[in-house]
Amino acid sequence: MSDTVLLALFDDVEPVADTLDSLRREGISENDMVVVSGVPYPARVLGRPMVWERLPLIAISGAFVGFLVGVFLNAGTPLLYPVHVGGQPLIPLPPSLVITYEFTMMGLIVSTFLGVLWESTFPSYGPKYYERRISSEGDIGILFRCPQERVAEFETLMRENGAEDVVEPEAKTL
Amino acid sequence: MSVKATTTPVLVVQEDPREEHLLLDPRPTKELNGMILEAMQRTGKGFWLAVIILGALILVGLVGAWGYQILTGMGVAGIRRPVYWGVYIANFVFWIGISHSGTFVSAILRVFKAEFRRPITRGSEMMTSFALIVAGMYPLIHLGRTWRFYWMVPYPNQRHLWPNFHSPLMWDMMAIFTYLIGSTLYLYLPLIPDLAMARDNTTGWRQKLYRILALGWRGTEAEWHHLKTAINIFAFAIIPVMFSVHTIVSWDFGMTMKTGWHSSIFGPYFVVGAIFSGVSAVATVLLIVRRTMKLDYFLRPEHFDAIGKLVLVFSFAWTYFFFADYLTEWYGGEAVGKELLTLQAHGPVAPLWYAMLITNIVIPWLTLWNRKVRRSFWGLLLVTLGVNVGMYIERYIIVTGFLTRNRLPFDWGAYNPTWVELLISIGSLSTFIFLYAVVSRLIPLVPIWEVREGQIAHTLRRVGRALVPSVAELE
Repeated sequence: MSDTVLLALFDDVEPVADTLDSLRREGISENDMVVVSGVPYPARVLGRPMVWERLPLIAISGAFVGFLVGVFLNAGTPLLYPVHVGGQPLIPLPPSLVITYEFTMMGLIVSTFLGVLWESTFPSYGPKYYERRISSEGDIGILFRCPQERVAEFETLMRENGAEDVVEPEAKTL
Repeated sequence: MSVKATTTPVLVVQEDPREEHLLLDPRPTKELNGMILEAMQRTGKGFWLAVIILGALILVGLVGAWGYQILTGMGVAGIRRPVYWGVYIANFVFWIGISHSGTFVSAILRVFKAEFRRPITRGSEMMTSFALIVAGMYPLIHLGRTWRFYWMVPYPNQRHLWPNFHSPLMWDMMAIFTYLIGSTLYLYLPLIPDLAMARDNTTGWRQKLYRILALGWRGTEAEWHHLKTAINIFAFAIIPVMFSVHTIVSWDFGMTMKTGWHSSIFGPYFVVGAIFSGVSAVATVLLIVRRTMKLDYFLRPEHFDAIGKLVLVFSFAWTYFFFADYLTEWYGGEAVGKELLTLQAHGPVAPLWYAMLITNIVIPWLTLWNRKVRRSFWGLLLVTLGVNVGMYIERYIIVTGFLTRNRLPFDWGAYNPTWVELLISIGSLSTFIFLYAVVSRLIPLVPIWEVREGQIAHTLRRVGRALVPSVAELE
């Protein structure tokens, strides 16, 4: 039995959550359906399960790495390359906090950015199921995988739920 | 008991809130996209003429004058003992101040969910990045031997040179670098969905460009979730970085034992001044953008009204810090401190000092309490331009004026910028305007998805006989 990908397009968010429920009742698993939209809708609006987000952890890890770099530059390099300034300690604490802070923030910011790329697998221009009307006309799409022999049944179900169009999308390079 | 009206009844006719509020005036997505894409492609003769003139000024200032300074040496600048920091450093402080616009308008208002921010965030974030690029040039220009800049970079080398990370100048470099990276990424991340929209609605070289920059964005739940989480982290992270940047710039001065500079209040004083000038610059730029790019639908009087209020609030705050700093110096009665105050009140910089007080305090206080002024193109434009002139003067006096008076009179002097310094300053201002003008035609200046998100969250609700805006907590 082969699966087919269908894309149902809605012009409003209201029926989308109900349609997702209908798909669940028809045996489509959460992992086999995706909502694609031009505006962010929280999981609670769509009735979708909350997903564990690793980004904060990545950001904190990056901040920690930045902190270590800051400590190294402040405390490690003066030992490796001592610059003695009259009357001043080689590793003074208060001025060291400034650079340590900046590097911590730099680590946080850069790792957050890289984390988004990593988590969203960006950049990724390869073939993907997509429909331009989502960004051009503000449609909300439900992409889902269903058995080949039930395509007509799911098309009817989508239209009954208010879909303005149901298509078998072509995977396109973006 | 008699029931009598104590005031004359007035018939209150409610204006249509949809005309006033962008977020209550939704239009079809196609129309919104069309408006913004059309604005990006609107490049008439006036635009190209402006680009050519700006390009010429950049060539004259940054290639001609700076090149001449590099070839001839720092002697062509007006800095002489005892004024070792001239216009270059004043410009540096000024542009760092302007860079606070984006972070304040975008990050702080985002954290506090101020809904009026939605159409103006990107325009101000762009200002931050470009202002930092311009500001970042000045330490290199001031360096004189610009080609030696890499001596500031820490790497093991045979010269046994190593930057001192406990020096405020090194803090400066790292803070600006962090802020530039942070604010550029903060500009780019929320831009990705709009770049995807532009990718889907353009052809030719623009589509190729947007395709690359959109990174393959589709708008799946996971992509939105990651993006929103990242924007939230950035919004919270960039605020303390913003505070640190201008604080560290102030410490370039405050860490010295120079009277007038050695002040513990300099950090917050500089930060407030930076936000004051940055928010004013946002108003100036967005007023011009609204008119030239015909973005009247997105940028409405309500937005300028709100920015005008912010300018007024920061004028109060700046005045408070200015007075606290001034009074402490005045009451201290130290001889050189008195000389500095005399220099401002009666000395050579007095006309500038009074002009600063007028543009930063008198004019905003007399005008911006008025709703009509805040909503008038010329009214707000002139007030906010004036504020930035005033803030530039403030930096000029702090940097160059204070250096002319030192503890011993033999070390007093004067400073007059030369034509080289002035041309470089004009070149850098032109760079900022040039970058803004060109990039505003390349990327959507209004975050369409944020506006649409706001329009979905906003509705009108009837309370008694009035229709009042109501916001759903969607974020």
